[in-house]
Amino acid sequence: MTGYLAFLKKEVIEYIRTYKLFIMLIVFAVFGITNPLMAKLMPEILESLATDGVIITFPEPTAYDAWTQFFKNATQIGLVVIVILFSGILSSELSKGTLINLLTKGLSRTAVILSKFTCMVMAWTVSIALCFGLTYGYTMYLFPEDQTSNLLFSVLCLWLFGLFLLAALLFSASLTKSNYGCLLITGVVVLVCMLMNIIPALHKYNPISLSTDNIGLIVNSIDVTSLYSVILISCLLSLIFVSLSVLIFRKKQL
Amino acid sequence: MGILEIKQLYKSFGCHEVLNGLDMDVPEHSIFGFVGQNGAGKTTTMKIILGLLKPDSGSVTVCGEKVTYGETKTNRNIGFLPDVPEFYGYMNPMEYLKLCGEITGLTKYKIELKCEELLELVGLKYEKKKKIGGFSRGMKQRLGIAQALLNEPKLLICDEPTSALDPVGRKEILDILSAAKGKTTILFSTHILSDVERVCDRIAVLHGGKIALSGTLSEMKDRYRHNGFVLEFENEKEACFFENAEELKKPEISLSRNKNVVTVLMTGRDMDGHFLLCILSQKRITPLKFTVMEPTLESLFMEVVR
Amino acid sequence: MDLAVLKEYFPFLIPLIILQIVLSITALIHVLRHPRYRFGNKVMWVLVVLFIQFIGPALYFALGRGEE
Repeated sequence: MTGYLAFLKKEVIEYIRTYKLFIMLIVFAVFGITNPLMAKLMPEILESLATDGVIITFPEPTAYDAWTQFFKNATQIGLVVIVILFSGILSSELSKGTLINLLTKGLSRTAVILSKFTCMVMAWTVSIALCFGLTYGYTMYLFPEDQTSNLLFSVLCLWLFGLFLLAALLFSASLTKSNYGCLLITGVVVLVCMLMNIIPALHKYNPISLSTDNIGLIVNSIDVTSLYSVILISCLLSLIFVSLSVLIFRKKQL
Repeated sequence: MGILEIKQLYKSFGCHEVLNGLDMDVPEHSIFGFVGQNGAGKTTTMKIILGLLKPDSGSVTVCGEKVTYGETKTNRNIGFLPDVPEFYGYMNPMEYLKLCGEITGLTKYKIELKCEELLELVGLKYEKKKKIGGFSRGMKQRLGIAQALLNEPKLLICDEPTSALDPVGRKEILDILSAAKGKTTILFSTHILSDVERVCDRIAVLHGGKIALSGTLSEMKDRYRHNGFVLEFENEKEACFFENAEELKKPEISLSRNKNVVTVLMTGRDMDGHFLLCILSQKRITPLKFTVMEPTLESLFMEVVR
Repeated sequence: MDLAVLKEYFPFLIPLIILQIVLSITALIHVLRHPRYRFGNKVMWVLVVLFIQFIGPALYFALGRGEE
């Protein structure tokens, strides 16, 4: 436990001093502000692109458009940035040999994995909260009349998907020696989820639903209860990934 | 009982056998020189002692406790200095030592005290607030020693601590190690023999995956002392005359001459300097110099490795 | 774009501009104070960091920043 806390502290210092947290916060803050802005401006931009004579009218933008932007950007760009930033989470320490010192000081390998996971999840939580807060504030400002339903639940689903992805990333990192290998395996995990999504019957159990059903939840076309099974499965899978990472890392020859 | 005991250690990587039944015993309060060529398996042995690598068979005991791979329990008695220690470049030495102290479970007060003391010992007192990222090799090595001594280990393992350093840096490290001798046992791997001669009191030579030779430095020199003599004569004529003496034409004796200097190596048990002195007095020759050859660690090493 | 429209977007533009400036300046200071990069040189990174909005500094911290 002391090892876990000490190493967690070191991870936090590392995120701050190597500008990892800084980049994440800026990226997510920029998204947070631009999401509603893009929603608002999109019709005007499209109209200005339209050729003369053709008059296309677009429906007035609403809060849903802002949230569509939010879920699209946070999953497609935000999570990709996070995965790239964290791809070297184990490999950089192993290849440089910085971990050897601490392990020979009696730091348990389980503590290493668990504190790394905790710190990644913390960074993701702060980032998504910042992005959500900004988008929420500006959406209220631009579209004060629009009502959304299940907003927090929908964001929570997205957060859980991020957690699942980070667990998969950690598992990949414990399997390979390089950060490219780690990226590759994480990519394969996501790809498998996407392919499985083709079969409608599996949709209820596929973690990727957590990142695709968000808009449906907000406009009430998808029922909250239909996601309970996938939430349970994602939690379980994350737990399995983290446990496997611990087991693999404990057996790794350094 | 030794502080570190290794019995019948085997380890191979693929089909390449690195350790082949290694036995070693390191007594308490010694500086134990662990000598071997590059690739002889020194680092592998050390990593097994630290539980970082899994041996194929054999056992390692530290302070009476068996080392198991993947567990780091025995490491609380060990301090380890890797050959090129790497630290987090964004931290300063003080922060790094505190991190190490927290991991080993020292109290806050103790950490504070120890950090100051060790940074003083390794001469990084004035750099304690500077980022490690800007440190030179030698400074990192010194911080490595401080880090290794933090938990007052009974056994300090140094993997080639001097190999990557310039002469000044090497001297500094060796001085620090000598200073630490009273407090801990040091296992010190290297292929630089002069370093061993400078600080170690016991050595073991690793060759072919086994300990080819071990003992205290003086013991080993005694055991491997050749009856070797160097005689310098006034001129080449006398040297030739001595060289061709009938009494020296024996299989146990090998002679070589370089101008007026003759080197005699004798392997016979009952032959010694007196025998040569007798011949000299019989022939009525007085050499300019008569010296007994001291075996160097290098000659011992070369002999074992060959 | 007339002033009225611009005014409407002030609450968006100002934070974005502040973020961009903070990001650029942080990156610029880092570029100037740590003259070792994984690739490229000082002039290149100064230009990238100052003139490519958001992505430039992010690229620098993620890819160009040398080891400490």
